[in-house]
Amino acid sequence: MAAPITGLLKPWTPRLFLVRWSRYNPYYLEPEPRKELYNMPETELTTEQKEERELKAVRPIKATTNSTTSSVFNDPVLSKFVNMMMRDGEKILARGILTQTLESLKRKQVEKYHKAPQGKKAEIECNPYAIFHQALENCMPVIGLASIQKGGKFYQVPVPLTDNRRRFLAMKWMITECRDNKNRRTLMYEKLSQELLAAYSKEGNVIKRKHELHKMAESNRAYAHYRWW
Amino acid sequence: MWRACQSERHLGQYYTLPTSHLHTIFPHGLPARYQQQVKTFNEGCVMVRQPALELISYLKAADYSKPAVRYLLYGLKGSGKTMSLCHTIHYCSTQGWLVLHIPDAHLWVKNCKELLPSSYHTSRFDQPIEASNWLRNFRTTNERFLSKIKLRQRYTWTKRESTEKGSPLGELVDMGVSRVKSSSDVVGAVLKELRLQAAETEESEGFRLAVAIDGVNSLWGRTTIKKEDKSPVAPEELTLIHNLRKMIDNNWCGGAVIATLSQTGSLYSPSSAYLPKELLGEEGFDSMDPFIPVPVSNYSEKEFESCYLYYLDRHWLQHPHSENEGKKEIIFLSNRNPSVLERLCAFL
Repeated sequence: MAAPITGLLKPWTPRLFLVRWSRYNPYYLEPEPRKELYNMPETELTTEQKEERELKAVRPIKATTNSTTSSVFNDPVLSKFVNMMMRDGEKILARGILTQTLESLKRKQVEKYHKAPQGKKAEIECNPYAIFHQALENCMPVIGLASIQKGGKFYQVPVPLTDNRRRFLAMKWMITECRDNKNRRTLMYEKLSQELLAAYSKEGNVIKRKHELHKMAESNRAYAHYRWW
Repeated sequence: MWRACQSERHLGQYYTLPTSHLHTIFPHGLPARYQQQVKTFNEGCVMVRQPALELISYLKAADYSKPAVRYLLYGLKGSGKTMSLCHTIHYCSTQGWLVLHIPDAHLWVKNCKELLPSSYHTSRFDQPIEASNWLRNFRTTNERFLSKIKLRQRYTWTKRESTEKGSPLGELVDMGVSRVKSSSDVVGAVLKELRLQAAETEESEGFRLAVAIDGVNSLWGRTTIKKEDKSPVAPEELTLIHNLRKMIDNNWCGGAVIATLSQTGSLYSPSSAYLPKELLGEEGFDSMDPFIPVPVSNYSEKEFESCYLYYLDRHWLQHPHSENEGKKEIIFLSNRNPSVLERLCAFL
């Protein structure tokens, strides 16, 4: 199902219909898990939303994954992180590790908060979600390298990255660093919480890796004109 | 001492345990997650709940010249039985009772690293590590009683060692901690002495004895300990369990036995069992009978509000959505069960 124009399509199902398949005919619409949109009365809808509602009455909708929730605590970045940490399809274990990480982050920060003197209390960030997002932002590289072939040789060319790619690289570096460089006796959630706290204060191995990438890109500045996009 | 004046007006409110009490009265009694919470919040707060208040009122109204009354706390998993027990123990300590707290009787019937045949009785087995640990904690809890209580009988441990009649209890306990091999017999001797001496009245320097056992259903169940020829050990064959069973029999006066059922650490029992008849079994129920059952249930709405506000006050609920819409979700997910609520709020 390559990208044909949606207008040409008719509602058809292939002869072999695979269940739990993530590739759909573009005719299918995305599911909407948020509750507030369904509770809005008629008057508050804009024209686009009214059109969407009419479409939903006619067109089929894709099946949601098991991890979509209408809960207020749902966070797409965290879900992506859990999926990246998952091995052999054990999502329960990966999600458990993430919740233990958030808990240990919160415990360390709240303990520091309660022991700190009155003046310093406002500076300590206790929210594990805020720390997680800020740490990931600090780890995201600004510029990346692409391997481009010119005249028989491959050159590492500095290249701008999309937001998705940057987020992916930050999460990947975080997870590989915690898996490889940890002591045999420390548990994953403990090491992850240490790395996240270090990244939040812009120290630690992941930040170092980001800086090294930036330095490589800076040193290969001369090849920047090899990029054609 | 306002701790003794807790009444129905204070239901749902939190009271703080002073740090000195936490170290002396509860060296080994509190649940693990609660200990982590005390460390994080830098203070230990306990909620005043209906089952604990009921127990305390029974203890106030009981007649201590009659045989000891037995109370049994039972309820669903995670509904607050151990915490109610700890609340009652704190009350007893502040009233000056001698508290005999066994934090988890399940730990004595499983995962035993060293099993020695008993010197006192050939068919029984000793557990030196568990017994010496318990004696150490008992010493921390009841410092002031150790010099006041004198032994009524002479105890001989080996050909060269014996404890004379009339020597203080502290000497016996120290002996048990240092001589690890005979520590289980020391535990038996301590229990016997306390049982005999608790019956005296207040004028002649008597004291009231509170026996608090968590996970009492392990005393009559099965064990996972095996003898050297791989045959299983019955609970009666362990000295510690044998002596505990003698404490639970109501043939002594001047105190109370407060026990908690626990499915979490129990062996060979289904996870949906929480009623006394199911967890104690025939034999256990017959030995505990007659007892006063005290049911412990999940939080009521008022208690849930109080817990929620406490977490907010201590900066524990950090998720921005947990104020309004998240509250309904938390109630739905946890069904107001205290331990599930605690685990849920840990990462929110």
